[in-house]
Amino acid sequence: MQDPLYAFRSLAHVYRGASVLSIDRLDLPRGGMVGIIGPNGSGKSTFLRIAGFVEKPTVGEVLFNGKAAGPFAPDVRNRVTLLPQEPFLMRRTVQKNIAYGLQIRKADSRLSERVNEALAYVGLNGKDFVQRPSYALSGGEAQRVALAARLILKPEVLLLDEPTANVDAVSAQLIQSAALKAQRDWGATLIIASHDWQWLYEVSDTVLHLFKGRIFGTGRENIVFGPWESAAEKSWCKTLDDGQILRVPPPPAADATAVIEDLRVLGSESPPTGASTICTITGIISRLALEKASGKVRASALAANLPLTAVLPQAQIRGQGLYPGRRVRLAYDWTRLRWI
Amino acid sequence: MDFLVQGFLRAIELLFAGDAETFSAVSATLVVSAYSLLATLAMGLPLGFCLGYFDFRFKKQVRVVVDTLLSLPTVFIGLVVYAFFTHRGPLGEWGLLFTLPGVAVGLTILALPILIALSATAVESMDRQLRVTLMSLGADRRQLFLSTLWEARHGIIAAALTAFGRVMTEVGIAMMVGGNIKWQTRTITTAIALETNKGEFAMGIALGLLLLLISFAVNITVSFLRKRD
Repeated sequence: MQDPLYAFRSLAHVYRGASVLSIDRLDLPRGGMVGIIGPNGSGKSTFLRIAGFVEKPTVGEVLFNGKAAGPFAPDVRNRVTLLPQEPFLMRRTVQKNIAYGLQIRKADSRLSERVNEALAYVGLNGKDFVQRPSYALSGGEAQRVALAARLILKPEVLLLDEPTANVDAVSAQLIQSAALKAQRDWGATLIIASHDWQWLYEVSDTVLHLFKGRIFGTGRENIVFGPWESAAEKSWCKTLDDGQILRVPPPPAADATAVIEDLRVLGSESPPTGASTICTITGIISRLALEKASGKVRASALAANLPLTAVLPQAQIRGQGLYPGRRVRLAYDWTRLRWI
Repeated sequence: MDFLVQGFLRAIELLFAGDAETFSAVSATLVVSAYSLLATLAMGLPLGFCLGYFDFRFKKQVRVVVDTLLSLPTVFIGLVVYAFFTHRGPLGEWGLLFTLPGVAVGLTILALPILIALSATAVESMDRQLRVTLMSLGADRRQLFLSTLWEARHGIIAAALTAFGRVMTEVGIAMMVGGNIKWQTRTITTAIALETNKGEFAMGIALGLLLLLISFAVNITVSFLRKRD
C-alpha cells in the first residue's frame, strides 16, 4: 500500500480548557480528494488548521510524507496551503495579494502573467481586477482572489474550509471548479470541509464525518439528538413533530446522542416481519446523489423534520422507483443503534 | 496684549534673521528627538508587536503596567535619570549628565511606553485571519513579523508620531538631565521656559512657532506617504 501523505497520531487539541479535537489515528492518501463533513463546532476548522500546519495540536503528531511536521517546518511550508473560511486579503491590490506567496519564495519571474493565470482559474479577468484594492471586492470576488493566491503557488496540498459558505451561487460554482481543476492539472491533494454534503459525496474519494471533535465514520451515519423518554422496559423513544415514534435502547443519559447506521429504505415493500427490534417510520425522499467513491446513491429523506440518510445500490433506486418527493418507509434495528 | 503682538512680530524677525541662538535650540531639539525616537523604535516596535500579537501568561498584567507608565511624570523620569548619571550614581562614569545623549536616554524612557502601548493596540486590532493567511501562503517567522508590521503600518506610524510629539515638546527631563546649557543642551522647550522667565516673549514665541512648524512638517510628510501608499 502506498505510504500515506498525512498520518495523524494520538492527536488532541484543547481550546480554553475544552477538548475540540481528538483523533487517535488517521491516514490520508496523496492525490485524492477528502471531504470533511460535520455540524458547526465539530472540529472541522481546527482539523484543517492543524493539517494546514498553521496551528500546532495540543498533543500528538502529524506526519507529512512520513516525517513529523508542524508550523513553519521548511518541509511543508511551501507545499501545503489553507484557505480559511473567512477570506482575508491584505490591504494591497489584488495583484499584490495574489503575488505575495511567490514573492516571499523569491519566485517572481513572469509575475504578471502568473497572476493573470491564477485569476483565470477562479473565473476573474486579470485586466479588470489586478489593480483593484482588496477593499473594492465583493464577498464572492474576495473569496475567489484568496483562492487564486493559493492556486498560483501550485500547492501539493490544498485545504479549503467551507469555501462556498458565504458566497453567491456563481462564485460557489467557480470555486468548486477551480479546486477540482487544481487536482486535475497538477495532482494536488484536496481536503475540503463543506456543508455542501451532496457536492462532497459527488467528488470526494473519501468523506470523513467529524462530530464533537472525533471522526466516527464516513457520513453514512444518522445522528439523532435527545432528549429521550422512557417508553417501556428496555425501550426508550423520541416523538417526532408529526407524532411518529423513534425507538431506541436505554440511553446512557436522557440527552444522549444516538447514531443510526443501518437505515434501510423499504419503498412499497412490507417491513420485515417477526422482528420486534425493527422500528419503522415514514419519510419523504428529499435528495438523491451519486457517491463517487462507492458508486452507490445517497438517498436523503425527511421524517417529520428529522433528516436521515441511507446509501443504496443504484439497482434498488431503479427497482423501487425512488425519486425526490416519494413517500417511503424507513427502517432500522433499534437494538443495533449506538450512542456517542 | 501689545507685548504679545510685539513679541510675535519680533519672533518672525528673529526667525527670518536666522538667529544663531534660536537655531542652536532647534538643532539640539532635533538631535535629542532623533536619538530617542530611534532608540524607542528599536526597542518599542518588537516589544509592542509581541505584546499585541502573542497571547502569554500575565499579558493583561503587563498591559496594565505599560498603560500605567503612559502617565509617568516627566520630572520623575528626569530625577531617576539624573540620579543614575550624576557622578555619584551607578552610571556616573559614562559622563552622560548635561549632554544631549543623556537627555535622549530620559526621553526614550518617556516615549517607550507610548510606542509599546499604541503599537500593541494597532497589532491587536489586526484581523486574526492575517496570521493564518500569511502562514498558509508560506511565510516564515521573519516574513510573518515583517508582513504583520506592514499591515499595521498606519497604526504604528501614528504611534511613532505620538511618541515623537511627546518627546519634542518635553521640558522636565530636558531641563533636569540636560541642564539647559546655552549652545549645548538648550532645547526649544527649555529655551521657551527660560526666555519666558526672563520676560523675553519674542524669543519664546519664535521658538514656539518653530516647534509648531516642525510638527506640521512631520504630519504633512506622513500624510503624503499615506496617500502614496
